[in-house]
Parts: sequence; structure tokens; C-alpha cells
Amino acid sequence: MKRVYSLEDRCLNCRLCEVACKTAHSATGDTFKAYKWEEPEPSARVHVEGTNKASIAVNCRHCAEPNCVEGCIAGAMKKDPETGIVTCDKDKCVGCRTCMAMCPFGAVRVEEYALKCDLCTTGYGDGDPACVRACINQALIFVESDEAELLAVERSGE
Amino acid sequence: MDYLVLGNSAAACATVDGIRTQDKEGTITMVSPEPYDAYGTPLISYILKGSVDADNVFIRKPEWYENNGVVKVFGEGKGAAKIDPKGQTVTLEDGTELSYDKLCVATGSVPFTPPIEGMPEDAPNRFTFLTMDAALSVKEHIDQIAADKAAKGEPTRAVVIGGGLIGAKAAEGLCYHCDEVTVLELGPRILQAVLDDDASAILTNLLREHGITPMSGVTASKIRVADDGQTIIGCELTNGDYLDCDLLVTAVGVRPNSSLLVEAGAEEGRGIICDEYMQTSLPNIYAAGDLTSVHNVLTGADAPLALWPNANEQGRVAGMAMAGYTDLTYDGSFAVNAVGFFDEMDILTCGVINPPEDDDSYEVRIETDGEVYTKFVTKEDALQGYILMNRPQGAGIYTNVVRQGIPLSKMTDEIFTRPIEELDMPKEYRAAHMRKGYVERSAS
Repeated sequence: MKRVYSLEDRCLNCRLCEVACKTAHSATGDTFKAYKWEEPEPSARVHVEGTNKASIAVNCRHCAEPNCVEGCIAGAMKKDPETGIVTCDKDKCVGCRTCMAMCPFGAVRVEEYALKCDLCTTGYGDGDPACVRACINQALIFVESDEAELLAVERSGE
Repeated sequence: MDYLVLGNSAAACATVDGIRTQDKEGTITMVSPEPYDAYGTPLISYILKGSVDADNVFIRKPEWYENNGVVKVFGEGKGAAKIDPKGQTVTLEDGTELSYDKLCVATGSVPFTPPIEGMPEDAPNRFTFLTMDAALSVKEHIDQIAADKAAKGEPTRAVVIGGGLIGAKAAEGLCYHCDEVTVLELGPRILQAVLDDDASAILTNLLREHGITPMSGVTASKIRVADDGQTIIGCELTNGDYLDCDLLVTAVGVRPNSSLLVEAGAEEGRGIICDEYMQTSLPNIYAAGDLTSVHNVLTGADAPLALWPNANEQGRVAGMAMAGYTDLTYDGSFAVNAVGFFDEMDILTCGVINPPEDDDSYEVRIETDGEVYTKFVTKEDALQGYILMNRPQGAGIYTNVVRQGIPLSKMTDEIFTRPIEELDMPKEYRAAHMRKGYVERSAS
């Protein structure tokens, strides 16, 4: 599947990806309204860690065998067998935070329900995910990853 | 190939998914005494509380069974009664006989209650708290007595024996319906296994604010019953107190639901003993979930690890192995728990939380600030466990540091005083896992 990969050597800590993500996951699709007016305030699913010298944008890896799905007690966190995309059904999520304790990347947050990257596939338009389109320095790229290789790496326990 | 799966919860469903990754043709039969499609067992406290509807707790879509070609043998009388490992058959309570080529036993755990003097055989107001029916029965009973009690101007009073995760969550659910809820925990604190004394004290305060009375170091010594000889009216306590009681929940503990396997000759320690493919000591018989003995990779102990993620992992390995795939193994685990109370407190815990006091190779680092309590347990250069109370950020990264044994000497000590981040991980670990499957290309 195609995943968003984050290249920390290119990341400038500008956080435009967070702005784009928050806008993409807002009700209005308007950055200004998303930040200033919307209630509840929408949340970015990508977050940038670090300083201008060293930073990285962290988002869901959409793992081949996701720990968050394995841990979900509510049947809310699912990996789509066709697309490989991991999403949380907010109507089923009970907010228990098991996914937070399981995700090795710290890529899930829980407010009323679990919030995470959905690769902009649940109704935010076509094309590359918003964070990738917003990145001014190609620190976020959206590329095919080899599932077989991925599985091999994961199962070797690296 | 005929696959038979006893059980219909996390481990059983994961077993079916595991089988189907390899074998799309073989027949799969699932057997369960419960009539429902698989549901999130931990959600029963949410049902009791009223925050989740009983029809919104299912962990698979209704069509999952049909799509996977699963024959459902569910309902009363459909519990397994006997396993014949030589004839490769399982007999159900109602006499039905099912044959198998490969069997997986994923029957979970059953409540364990030590004998208490005066406990009636069949009390109408005594409940356990492990199944959907149990939660619904508790709710129904409260509804029945509530109006009557209100008319008399009396409070409704519930007693929960056992202050572990099940008992504490039952108490949370009960306090939305009962005027007085008391939790009796014989051990030194509530949530004994996943908290230490100080963290448990913070939780105890919260429970008290919500009208729950947790009592530690005390349990019921004698049950008093009404003139009918069956209805429980109160509990005498080991400290000499007496509590009136309209409803009693026993949640002292669980034990592996393994009797059929043991009778069939399977080897058992503290749980059913399985190899790395989750096969029991009997040919063609596998087991997964709460009834199995798990090798704790941190402590070396072998005991059941009755946790949801573990059940899923074991089930997947069992199912794939049953269908002939042996590149995936189960090599033990450690505890990771998440539990919340009243939407006000979240508690995430992992691994070793209360290291043995006589072992000075462990170090403990605690930070506390009001309702926030964090504890990290380290041994030599490795993180062994944590409590994160009301500070969940980064929890999974800590879990990964424990899982992979990432050397603490390669990271800043700040990770014990503020949430850990991906950037705190040594670069070689970070690069390996952030870029899995991505073929590096030049940055030009």
C-alpha cells in the first residue's frame, strides 16, 4: 500500500502538515474557521516533534499487523483488508486508550474517541494526503511500500 | 480440512482470521454457549453504566461469520462438554457431536470465588461480571428492586467482593444505579495488580467522590440471607463490620476455563501449556487466549495473561499454524492494560509495576502532580514497566521501549519526567521502524 513516510533530515519543523491535517479533518474545510470558530475544534492527526534543528512529523504507519487493532476492545479500530488503511469507528470507540498504550509510534490520541491518520480517505478529496501536499520540503512523501518486505521485517522482530 | 473453534471472543475470532489467511476452503465451526456474536467483553461495564448500547459492542460485523464461511453453533446447550482427542470429536452439552481435523480451544476464563460461609447455592441477587448476560442481569435486577426501594424510602445497596479490574469496573457501572456501592478487597489496595499504593490511593479518592466505598484488607466472612434461605440481605466482614446488601457481585478472580482440555489429557501449569504455535500437548489441538499459560518475557514467570491484545495475538498464531503456516510464532508477552473511570481518570500500565522489594536490581522513578501520577520501573539498562495515570501521551512508545529492550543509556533521562517522543528513540531504532518497507532514496 501507499504510506506517508517522514524524512526527518528534511523536516523544518514548520508544522504546515499539522495545519493541513487539521483543516482536512475539519467540518468546514477552511483553515481559518477550523482554528478560530469550529466547535468542537478539529484535531490534526499528524504532529511534529522537536526543534528547528531536529524534527520529525509523526503519523500512523498503517502497520501490516497493527497493535492498535489487536488491542481494541470495542471492535472500533480496524484495518481495511482491501486498502490496508487503519481507521477508528468513532461510534464504536469507548475511549479506553488501549490503542495509545499499544501504538509504538505514539500516533494515536484519544479525546472523546481515538484520533488518527486515515490517509485522508474518509471524505477529504482526492490526491495525496493533505499533509503531503502541504509539505514545502518533501519531508513527507506518499509512496508505495512493499507489503511482503514489510511483513518480513516486522516478523523478524526488528 | 475441518476446523473447530471452541469459543467466540477475541482469541476465537482471531483464530478464524488466522486460518483464513492461509486456507479459504476448509470448513470452520465455532461453538459457544453464549447466543451473541462476538462482543468486546470489557465493554460490559460500559453497558451497565449505560454509556454503550448492548447492540453496539460487537467486535466483528454481522456478516463476518458468513463471509468467512463460519458455521455458528451458539446458544444454550451449545457449550462443549467433552473432548475426545483420539476420535477427534467434541461433544456438546446437548449431546451434539462434532468432529474436527484441527481444534482450537479458546474458552477463556471463568469466575473463581472462594467459599464464603452462608453463601446460598442459588441466590437471585448474586452475580458474577464476566459476560454480557451477567451485565444485563445485574441491570435487570437493579431495575426490579429500585422502584420498591424508592417507595420504601430506602437506599439501594450493592456490594462487590474483589477490587481488581473486573470488580472496580463493575462498581463504576453499579454506582450509576445504586445509592451505595462498597468494594471489598482483601489485598492491600484497589487494582492491586496494576497499581502501587500511591496510585491506588488517587483512584480510591476518585471512587469515593462518586459514592463508591472501597475497603482494602477486608472481605466478606459470612453472608446473611432472607427467610427464603436464598436472597442475600447482607455481608458480615472480616473486620467485624456488617453491610446491608441488595445485590452482591463476586469478582474475586478468574481461573482458566480449561477443564475439558485437562480431562482430555492436555498438560496444564497455571494455564494450558502450549508450544510456540499455540499447540497443546495433544495432537491437532490448539489453545488461545485467557486459558493458556503465557511466558512473561520480562519476569520469566509462566501464568495466564488474561488480556485482550494477547488473546488476539495468540489466536492469530494458532489459526495460521492450524492451517499449516509455521513462520509466525508466539514467544510470550507482558501485560499492557488500559482502564478509565468516569471519563475523569485514565490509567495505562505495562510490564513490571511493583518489583519485588528484596530485589535491588530494580530502580523506580515516580513523578506526581495532583491527579497525575507516573511511575517507571527500570532494571539495569532496560525499562521494565510503567504506570501512567492521567498522562497517557507517549504510552505506546514506552511500551515499545519495554518490548524491544531499547537501551536506556542511549536516551535522555527526560523521558521519565515528560512524555517520551519518537525523537527520544536512538536514531537507529527510530529509522528502522519509521521507515519499514520504504526503500531509501537519495534526498536530492
